[in-house]
Amino acid sequence: MISIKNLQASIEGKAILNGINLDIKPGEVHAIMGPNGAGKSTLSSVLAGRADYEVTGGEVDFLGKDLLELSPEDRAREGLFLAFQYPVEIPGVSSTNFLKTAINEKRKYLGQEPMEATDFLKFMRSKMEEMEMDKSLTSRSLNEGFSGGEKKRNEVFQMAMLEPKFCIMDETDSGLDIDALRLVSAGVNKLRNSERSFLVITHYQRLLDYIVPDFVHVLYKGRIVKSGDASLAKELEVKGYDWIKQEVEAAV
Amino acid sequence: MTFLEQIKSDFNLYTAQASDDNFARLRKNAFAAYEQLGIPTTQLEEWKYSNLRSVQQGNFTTSCVSKLDANALIKAGILNKIVANKLVFVNGCLFPELSVWLETDERIKVCSLAQARKEHSAIFDAHFGKYIDFSKEGLLALNTALMSDGAFVFVPEGASLTHPLMITNITDANEHSVFQQPRNLIIIEKNASATIIENYMAVGSFASFTNVVNEIFVAENASLEHYKVQRAAGDTFHTNYTQLHQLANTNINQVTLTLDGQWVRNNLHFYMNGENCNSLLYGLYIPDGKQFVDNHSRVDHAMPHCFSDEKYKGILKDDAVAVFNGKIVVHEDAQKTNAYQRNQNILLSNTATINTKPQLEIFADDVKCTHGATIGQLDEEPMFYLRSRGISEQEARRLLLNAFADDIAEKIKIPELVAILESEIERKL
Repeated sequence: MISIKNLQASIEGKAILNGINLDIKPGEVHAIMGPNGAGKSTLSSVLAGRADYEVTGGEVDFLGKDLLELSPEDRAREGLFLAFQYPVEIPGVSSTNFLKTAINEKRKYLGQEPMEATDFLKFMRSKMEEMEMDKSLTSRSLNEGFSGGEKKRNEVFQMAMLEPKFCIMDETDSGLDIDALRLVSAGVNKLRNSERSFLVITHYQRLLDYIVPDFVHVLYKGRIVKSGDASLAKELEVKGYDWIKQEVEAAV
Repeated sequence: MTFLEQIKSDFNLYTAQASDDNFARLRKNAFAAYEQLGIPTTQLEEWKYSNLRSVQQGNFTTSCVSKLDANALIKAGILNKIVANKLVFVNGCLFPELSVWLETDERIKVCSLAQARKEHSAIFDAHFGKYIDFSKEGLLALNTALMSDGAFVFVPEGASLTHPLMITNITDANEHSVFQQPRNLIIIEKNASATIIENYMAVGSFASFTNVVNEIFVAENASLEHYKVQRAAGDTFHTNYTQLHQLANTNINQVTLTLDGQWVRNNLHFYMNGENCNSLLYGLYIPDGKQFVDNHSRVDHAMPHCFSDEKYKGILKDDAVAVFNGKIVVHEDAQKTNAYQRNQNILLSNTATINTKPQLEIFADDVKCTHGATIGQLDEEPMFYLRSRGISEQEARRLLLNAFADDIAEKIKIPELVAILESEIERKL
């Protein structure tokens, strides 16, 4: 699905990613954990194409394409989806219009006919039912006045609508209470299948109780310093990050 | 003849044939005031950014001769999609073939101002010139002295216009440069209501200067929806004074849309002369190229318990220049006033300019007032969010600018007008 080789990136001249190597196959769920400032959100931003970051080295192959050469919109059209840590409120843009535009721009890119209005509404209704979304959310402006939980659920709903191949979840659990976390995770789990891959970025282990990963990686100082299975997350929950930091420092 | 000589000669021509009545005396006084004040210059604080010098170099014709026929005018796009009562003026004179009248209430009087002076002289005399003060404004004085024709609207006590009234002014600059001074008088009596659209268009490649004055009187418990749509493209200069005088318990919703026009200066003045008035002033300007748009407004809270809400938004492209100058004056007696004012601008180029000055002058002590202005570019965060969902940069910009304009568009209660606005935004961007 996606193959990241020696990825390096900086912001305003400051190196944040210092050589990330990661291979994600179809259907796999990888979690990236790490202390604050390790570069977790930078990784998701760089993969999604945020302009603030400068890629200084390495390569990313996404389904046979050079991801780093693509514009943010083309990455999305190729099947990448970033669930934002802080979804943006956009007053005046209706959720329905936004989703219709996004879907049809993707279809155009793929050489498909635009979806008719009635087909679109039918499709949206079925997805809303599937994801147990409140109808009122789509009639409102995009994320405007949404609670933290509603915003994150809306991200997952967009994911369901856009049917991406590879989803990056950037600290989706931040700011969520346990009920909201459950709802959001249930949504993500519905979207898991043997084709779709996930990269779940989180500081805390609790999200991974609900979205159980196949692999867990620890990011520290812009590098993946440890990898394991879901039990690594449990270990971090108990022991914190300090022992990893010490291991890394000792190795230097 | 220079422009100023032309004005002088036109006025001499007028006085030679005018009878000695109140109306003629008013116009003579106005001309005397104009001669004192002259055309405003950038030396005046209120005209600091608005330079009318180049218009005075022009050689204008003040007669309303036009070779346009009805079909050509309809083609020029006089908002045909709106089902409305219509008055159409070409170069300042009524074009009766295009008038549309849909109302059945015979008490309502709508005609040209010239006709009203003859046929409804009592109403005309009671209101005409009563709400403006030309002693300080050269262009107000000039309009009063040398006005072209315009619309007269009288909605008597308890009556309502069931359809909007659209007053369209077309500048025909196909043959020569045009100077016109439309003058409208609108009277909404007690418990009456009306929706009025002022619509400005232009054709032809010669220059034009249009100096409009609107006097609008709204009596107790009456309500008015007032829209101004400025689409006079080409080498056009447009100045517009709109004076609204409102009595107690009145509601006025005023929306100004400035789309085309090389040089536009709007002066909007609300005078709230009664308690429990609601005055809403909204505006959207989208200048591009070398367009200049200046919105000056003044809201006088003269009485207690009134509410005013003003919001003007601008999207500026290319080398466009815009000015916003909003002043809210809360008089000493106007306790419990609520007054809000905002001006928000998005600059889409490095060479566009906005000069904004929100002002509050408060002489009462128990009031709630806010004002503010913002200037910025399209935010990067929403742009990235939309693009990360597969929406192209251009489409994302379109969505965000429409969203920016949306809270002005939603103040427009005529769907056809909203649709026109949306397509104009599309065309401009």
